[in-house]
Amino acid sequence: MPTVPNMPKRLLEFRDRAAIAGVGYTPFTKDSGVSTLTLACRAVLAALEDAGLTPDDLDGLATHRVGDSAPPTLVGPALGLADLSWHLDQFGGGSVSHAVVGQAALAVAAGLAETVVCYRAVNARSEFRMGGTGRGVPVSPETQYQAPYGYVAPPQQFAMYARAHMLRYGTTAEQFGTLAVTQRANAAKNPRALMRAPITLDDYLASRWIAEPFRLLDCCLETDGACAVVVTTAERARSLRRHPVLVSAAAWGGGTSHLSCPDPTVTAAAALAPRLYAQAGLGPQDIDVAELYDCFTYSVIVQLEDYGFCPKGEGGPYVASGATAPDGALPVNTHGGFLSEGYVHGVNHIAEAVSQLRGDAGDRQVPGAEVALSTSQPGYILPATSALILRRA
Amino acid sequence: MAAYRPEPDRDSRAWWERVARREFAVQECESCGTLRFPPRAFCAACRTEGWRWREIAPEGAIESWIVSHRSFAPGRHDPYPVVMVRLTAVPGCLVYGNWRGERPPEAGEPVRAVFTQVDAELTLIDWMPESSTPARSGENQANC
Ligand SMILES: [Zn+2]
Repeated sequence: MPTVPNMPKRLLEFRDRAAIAGVGYTPFTKDSGVSTLTLACRAVLAALEDAGLTPDDLDGLATHRVGDSAPPTLVGPALGLADLSWHLDQFGGGSVSHAVVGQAALAVAAGLAETVVCYRAVNARSEFRMGGTGRGVPVSPETQYQAPYGYVAPPQQFAMYARAHMLRYGTTAEQFGTLAVTQRANAAKNPRALMRAPITLDDYLASRWIAEPFRLLDCCLETDGACAVVVTTAERARSLRRHPVLVSAAAWGGGTSHLSCPDPTVTAAAALAPRLYAQAGLGPQDIDVAELYDCFTYSVIVQLEDYGFCPKGEGGPYVASGATAPDGALPVNTHGGFLSEGYVHGVNHIAEAVSQLRGDAGDRQVPGAEVALSTSQPGYILPATSALILRRA
Repeated sequence: MAAYRPEPDRDSRAWWERVARREFAVQECESCGTLRFPPRAFCAACRTEGWRWREIAPEGAIESWIVSHRSFAPGRHDPYPVVMVRLTAVPGCLVYGNWRGERPPEAGEPVRAVFTQVDAELTLIDWMPESSTPARSGENQANC
């Protein structure tokens, strides 16, 4: 079991206290035709239905937001919830998706709430695109040192870090492409996925430049959609409709600023990972399936290193070896990820991990999956990251 | 022209004013001497507030770069390069700028700041190979 210096013993008391009892989705589309609030309500209700619960069972709501969002203060009243004993509207994009579920798990473990739905709803394709067109520059004090140079959008920023990794370790476009091809093949088996037509490495290499070294097929899909998960106590989850999935560990981490980053090829996940594994009493060798934040191909490669699945610098060869394919040592992004299923800011990765651990992932089921790792954006740009280890009860 | 005009804040306004005078300066902690960028009230090393401006050599090394092929910002025409530069004098810090070399940058390549005057109020810092001399009008290498 990995050790963490000065780890508080109380950290272990949290292990397996909370569970995920249901998941819910809206369809993923390029134009939902409805409001972000409507998407949020539909996903929340779908997750409750999956758990065998009703809105009257709900006493907590949580989301994260950057740009488009439907906060609990809108969703609660819209669903006729006159009182919520716990709620959270967490600032941040993909860096905090897993933190939100971690905080809900803490809330139910502490007794502040019994049943919380964590959700994310976005019209990120039809109304509020993340790609840097048609909307203003995000306001951060750091923006002034980048935006004047036309350096504003996530594909540019992650391309910059990806090139640093290529220069340092010899990571190649073909390795990024192998990841994109593998995840598309996974999406072909996922009825929810926006992009299901198989692609080849040649298709990847022929796709147009977005920001060199990134091509179109390195980038996630801008998506309209919502996804939600029901978090409750492990005890209560055992009496509900679905096989419970326990929150064995939840960890938070810092990150690096655009402007002060000692080594852009190492993310905040490298410091978070030992805490996460120690809390679960597990290590990378125990992970059966990993749903890793894949805003871009490179994000997965650097996390494979920082979560300890391969040595630093070897994420590219690890992917090229087939290790992340469904029959590999570590099936990754079995739903197709943001690259091919859709981009709902991290919650769909958690929901897929839950499906895999319940054993109801259909054609894309990893046989016998007992333990899953799911991660948020590893801490580039917004100095924050978070991750969960989930376990079949 | 600049894609977006910077919006100086109470921490950064004096820094932008120095850039407009073609000075390349960072903050130096009065207590422990640590250099820092971007401008902030507190030293992250010793958490004290006292500081002074320190003019530094406008030099760094290429850590990475991209070439944008989409118009991510108004006024930019494809494709345009952006470089990430590690400052020689402040190795903990990364800065960004457009590339003013006649050829693509190279990994680890030493580079020098170029001050690009956008208009009467705004000057930006771009980067060029250390060995080059500034050629275009309105550009001028820093003077240290
Ligand atoms: Zn100091």
